[in-house]
Amino acid sequence: MGEMKLFFGPNHPGLHGNFSVHMYVEGDTVIRARPVPGFLHRGFEKLMERRLWYQNLALIPRICVQEPDINEACYAMAIEKIAKVDVPERAQWIRMIVLELARIANHMWAFGGVGGPTGMYTSMYWSVSDRDKVLDLFEELSGARIYHMYIIPGGVRKDFPPHFEEKLVKLLDYIEGRLPEYETFVLKNRILHTRLRGIATIDTETCLKIGVTGIGLRATGVPYDIRKIAPYLFYDRVEFDVPTATEGDALARISLKPQEIRQSIRIIRQALEYMPSGPVNTKIADGNGLRIRVPKGMAYAKVESTRGEYGYLVVSDGEEKPYRVAVRGASYPQGLYGVEHLMPGTRIDDVPIWLDTMGVCAPEIDR
Amino acid sequence: MMNSMNDASVSQELQKVFEELKSMFGSCEAVHIDARQYKLIVPSDKTLGMLTYLKSIGYSHLSIITCVDWIDEKKFELVYILFNWSNGATFLVSTFIDRDRPVFYTVKDMWPTAEYYERDVHEFFGVEFEGNENCKKPLMLELWDDLPPLRKDFDPLQYSKEHFPDRTYEKDPIHEARIIRGDIEGDIEGGEIDG
Repeated sequence: MGEMKLFFGPNHPGLHGNFSVHMYVEGDTVIRARPVPGFLHRGFEKLMERRLWYQNLALIPRICVQEPDINEACYAMAIEKIAKVDVPERAQWIRMIVLELARIANHMWAFGGVGGPTGMYTSMYWSVSDRDKVLDLFEELSGARIYHMYIIPGGVRKDFPPHFEEKLVKLLDYIEGRLPEYETFVLKNRILHTRLRGIATIDTETCLKIGVTGIGLRATGVPYDIRKIAPYLFYDRVEFDVPTATEGDALARISLKPQEIRQSIRIIRQALEYMPSGPVNTKIADGNGLRIRVPKGMAYAKVESTRGEYGYLVVSDGEEKPYRVAVRGASYPQGLYGVEHLMPGTRIDDVPIWLDTMGVCAPEIDR
Repeated sequence: MMNSMNDASVSQELQKVFEELKSMFGSCEAVHIDARQYKLIVPSDKTLGMLTYLKSIGYSHLSIITCVDWIDEKKFELVYILFNWSNGATFLVSTFIDRDRPVFYTVKDMWPTAEYYERDVHEFFGVEFEGNENCKKPLMLELWDDLPPLRKDFDPLQYSKEHFPDRTYEKDPIHEARIIRGDIEGDIEGGEIDG
């Protein structure tokens, strides 16, 4: 049978954002694949060099549309490392709560994501509606549902509003109650098993060789989590487990998500318990209002996002604007090198599953 | 469950590795960023050797390769970020190359994904990586016809003005809309708008 070239994307229901794969197929099997990024290149790194340190806060959450808070956290943490500023304790705990809430919201979204390419739309309706409850809380906290601009260099913008903690506890109870239903409906579903088992398999050696982190790596049996191995914020003061699986396939990656949500809930509960009262932000550097000058230096800050290592390299030359900011998107290795070298052998109808469960996020690759 | 090493012991280990590197490779400078992160400033001819050594002792995860344009010093600074999964320590290996002749060597044989990081750096800074045959293929920017855009001498505003000039309208579309709506009286004969 002859070889044929087919285009996947740049618009597809199984994708977060616009990303294209040129597939060379024989029959219904992909024999070669070429990633084509760039549809969402908006020049963030250049734009950041032209804006004040604080102005960038309005820009950076947009780099990763589905999980914006990690951008704010990395940017703020890198600046604090350069300026050698200690953030107030309460702000650190609040940041942890925000990041874990964002993880829950994003994992919920992922159930919807897997519903698209497998045709299980009910999971999409459920998870989007439950994620919305998390967004309601975010709206109350920051005034915005998606792009919160809440974590700022030096702390967080404001303390919790009144009665926020009670609402948060209520939400955690609700989500915890929903998880068994998700597991029964999504993870024990015959159709989903048939579609996901043995698809997009990756082994530990390949993950470590090409730099896949996060759930992709943990689904192969390695408990590597940056929150444990290089703890930031106060992750070393709370107890949580790192769920792993051994199969390394799409099903293993999806089934880790509810387990991670459970751990996030555990972390938030501990954070609420340990959190002291006190100030929630501090001055980063001398300067007039928001026109701060960050001292000269370079620092890399990374967090464990839902897709793996997400980091910012920030360079300052002591001026009012960053000299250079480089973003390490978590899905860079699997989204580019992985598509080219690991995707061949997949069937055409499994390609969206491959991209979705590998966590390929176009906006963070393009930046 | 794995337990993370505490900051003090990681810091000690980083210092130990730095001393080793200094005795093996000679000139090498370290900047202490925090307890878990050191920046190493390495001469360009020693960089590959040092990266190979660091990979062999556990700093095997390459987070990213990126570049900084120090236009006043006429240098590009290449930064390789290496992470050690067993102790949670990070090295930023930085080397300076000539801005007028930006050529370096590829590390894609050590880290396959480096092929894409190098393509990225080539596209946005114009640095060539010898040995990476795909280095010059466009990645994000299709049909780019100007200076590599992350160089400091590239002016995005000017580029945008040249490539996307302001539109001029011979007629005022708001005025015409108000006539159509009947807010004001007037004539819109031949009402095509030049865009």
